[in-house]
Amino acid sequence: MRVFRDALAAFALTAMATVATAAPGLAETLLAGVAKTPPVSTPFVLVSYRGVLDRPLVVSGSLRWLGGDNMERDIAKPFKETAKIADGTITVQRGSSEVQRMPLARAPQAGAMLAAFRALLGGDVSALQKDFALSAQGSEARWVITLTPRTDALRRQLTSLVIDGRDREPRCLTMTDANGDSSITLVGAMAEQGLRSAAPLESALAARCRNSGQ
Amino acid sequence: MRRGERAAIWFVWLALIAGLGWGVALHLKISSDLRDFVPPARTADQKLLLDEIGKGPGSRLLLLAISGAPQAQLADLSRGLEDALAQDSAFEHVVNGGNDLAEIASDLLPYRYLLSPTLDSHRLDATFLHTQLQQRVEDLSSPAASMLEPWLKRDPTLETLKLARLWAPPRQPKLVDGVWFSDRDEALLVAETRAAGFDPGAQANAIASLQKHFATLPGAAKAKLVISGPGWFGVQASRHTRAEADRFGVITTIGFILMLLLAYRSAVPIVVTALPLLSGAVVGFALLALIFGHAHGITVAFGFTLLGVAQEYPLRVFSHRRIGVATSQCVRELWPLLATAIVSVCIAYLAFFASGVAGLQQLAVFTIGGLVVAGLCTRWLVPLVVPAAKRDMAATSGLAGVWHFLAHLPRPRWLPWLVAVAGIVVVVFAPGKVWQNDLSALTPIPKAELQRDARLRAALGAPDVRYLLLMRALTAEGVLGLSERLAPQMQQLVDRHAVDGYELPSRYLPSAATQRARQAKLPDARDLQAALQQAMQGLPFRAGVFAPFVADVEAARKLTPLMPEKFEQSPLGARLESMLVQQGDGWVGLGTLSGVNDPAAFVALMKETRGAVHLLDLKGSTESLIVAYRQRILIALGIAALLLCAAVTLALRSPRRALHVLGPMTLATLLVLVVLRACGIPLSLFHLVSLTLAAGLGLHYALFFERRTGDEREDLRTLHATLVCVASALLVFGVLALSSVPVLRAIGLTVALGVAFHFMLSVLMAPADHLRRKG
Repeated sequence: MRVFRDALAAFALTAMATVATAAPGLAETLLAGVAKTPPVSTPFVLVSYRGVLDRPLVVSGSLRWLGGDNMERDIAKPFKETAKIADGTITVQRGSSEVQRMPLARAPQAGAMLAAFRALLGGDVSALQKDFALSAQGSEARWVITLTPRTDALRRQLTSLVIDGRDREPRCLTMTDANGDSSITLVGAMAEQGLRSAAPLESALAARCRNSGQ
Repeated sequence: MRRGERAAIWFVWLALIAGLGWGVALHLKISSDLRDFVPPARTADQKLLLDEIGKGPGSRLLLLAISGAPQAQLADLSRGLEDALAQDSAFEHVVNGGNDLAEIASDLLPYRYLLSPTLDSHRLDATFLHTQLQQRVEDLSSPAASMLEPWLKRDPTLETLKLARLWAPPRQPKLVDGVWFSDRDEALLVAETRAAGFDPGAQANAIASLQKHFATLPGAAKAKLVISGPGWFGVQASRHTRAEADRFGVITTIGFILMLLLAYRSAVPIVVTALPLLSGAVVGFALLALIFGHAHGITVAFGFTLLGVAQEYPLRVFSHRRIGVATSQCVRELWPLLATAIVSVCIAYLAFFASGVAGLQQLAVFTIGGLVVAGLCTRWLVPLVVPAAKRDMAATSGLAGVWHFLAHLPRPRWLPWLVAVAGIVVVVFAPGKVWQNDLSALTPIPKAELQRDARLRAALGAPDVRYLLLMRALTAEGVLGLSERLAPQMQQLVDRHAVDGYELPSRYLPSAATQRARQAKLPDARDLQAALQQAMQGLPFRAGVFAPFVADVEAARKLTPLMPEKFEQSPLGARLESMLVQQGDGWVGLGTLSGVNDPAAFVALMKETRGAVHLLDLKGSTESLIVAYRQRILIALGIAALLLCAAVTLALRSPRRALHVLGPMTLATLLVLVVLRACGIPLSLFHLVSLTLAAGLGLHYALFFERRTGDEREDLRTLHATLVCVASALLVFGVLALSSVPVLRAIGLTVALGVAFHFMLSVLMAPADHLRRKG
């Protein structure tokens, strides 16, 4: 996990440095110290708040970054699903049913998530900056990075992706879709801690992400 | 006439040619429609072929491969090209794997329960809906959730997605970065042109437009775009042929000019000889424009070849001029013989006019008009623009020696008979096929390109261009029903590897009967509401969220089934339109096939359906049309030969003299056939036309050698003229015979051989006493 944390710290600082255009030397120094040796994995808990649902949807499992544009997400509960992103294509296999494929270009949310992870873990901020504007707030101890789409095509799908972190570790990725739906993905230690309620309120979960004391 | 006046007339003449040529270029449409070229279709398959040729679903596809750059860049290029072509009116549609089929299908959204096969095996009851909704809950956590969500309230069973999948190409290459890639890491696209596949002009425009789009994409300079498919091959072949013809044209023009300088020691023939031929050509084109409004490209090519005879007219004049005698006087003396040749040939070509085939009629009009005008120009205009002769060609050094040599060649009387008999034996009994029915064999596609086409075709699962599966019925509905019944049998053929893949019209539009059957299974609003309520139990969906779904199902219950006319207006309509066509009183469905491994396997299918379904071999049908066309040409040529014999006999007023003219012509033509057959070269239409040109030239040689002038110097001038004509024809066509393009080689070889044989036989079979008078 150390590699993971170092990488995240590097990402956070680089992002902040990029936005502030201050101390570019520091960002470079930090990035240089990042060991980019995938695969890296973390547990996750995804809580989706959808307009068509009357309660949040919770799934959990593990996320793995295999380097480059390759990522995998295994859902273990409440059903089994393996989703892979490779070569610009998403493949989803659920249970024993047929494998579904689709171009990554058609699922911008998944694309944003991948770009964020690539930047976090691989230190490749340039790929991220192609599609998103970055802004960072807070301190090294408690930080929030907000990704907003640069293109209209992306904006039609996605409003923002917010990453909350503490020290050198990200805790939550909050994604807000253009239609108002949102999802919060807990990663790292937050995911290990798990949820405190079967159907957490969005506001409560968001507060928990922000509140680094908990 | 003074020098200034002559120059003025020359300029005016040239200006007239240029002016008329320009006017004709504006008005005459050169068509590439095969219907102009071949005789009326007799069988239903031929008729369909002519109606649909090149319009068929497979032949309009261009297969594209982009390579030579990093994958991400290739994917960007693929998307850029797809965007550009989607806007381009020359293209019907373009696919690169990244297309959003769900969007395409949205147009037909109200009909989705009638079009999708779901209701064939399920009902919209509580059990089915519960399983579906359960899956949707899971979908909402998937990376693609945002893609499904907009559909969810209206279409919880995802019929739209099922249709999109059903209509997606059956076999797809792998997706990289959201677009198709081959195993060799080329980005793959398929573009369907609006223009027919065998319309080289329109295809060339579409391809040029495509290449321009590609060149303007960022990063395109480093990448390589490869195009394949019938349209591309057609354009390549004509481009290659034209380039080679142009290259040889330059060589022969230079050679021709040098030869004229050598023969006449004057620059005058160089600036004058081309004018009668050009005048004939522009008038020929003008006649085509006036009478037909258009001409087939092949007709024009054939016509130009046949018009080559006119090149001789001014050369004869230059060889026969004498010092101190006005050129007009010399032409007047020459005219009866020249007129005999022109009129005889023109009468012969009347046979083409009577053939009833538009392409041959155009050929007749062009050639007759052109020859007459070239002759008239030679008779009345050439004397006006050339200065008085400074040299008598009879005095050319060595000419008398040549005459002496030719006059004293042995002329055994039995020789012609022996040649005739031996020739017929060779022509009849030589092994190998006599006729070349495959026009594409004359403009072959390089092997490497063919292999690449096969590779791309296999990678893209693109349909075969050679075979189509025909389904005939009285109505469009009948065809769709037939197509539905056929689908399981086709699947069996795929399982047996008789064919790799197929696409039937019912894949896009089920028959009205099937649609009604599905409609009958749709529950009414109350039942559906109740089933939905039950299905939603235990699932996190908000109450009432599926109201749009209930409304859509209710609306679908009242729809009239989707008819072809309506479907054809949708974005996917073009697919169906090319697969479902009206012919005569009935309808024909055109199923596309890919990888036909066993054409014989379709025989059983044909028997079972009592002929309603059968495999159309486009190559076979085209060849049968070519055969029909050739038969017409052969009949026309036969009649032309008879007319020529009659005309020559009448003009010479003596069967004996006519025999001296027609004998060498016939034997020389036979000899050319002997050589071609002995070399195992199958005869094509181009050989036939070339034989006709050679015979036209041979007629001149024979007529002039047969002429009795009683003047030794005039005989030498005749020999001079004939030698210049033979040498120029051998130069032009001999060089063409070296071409790598089979069509040019066929014309070149046939005419060059013909000219040589006609000349030799004209000399050898001319009346000996008359030749040897001197010696």
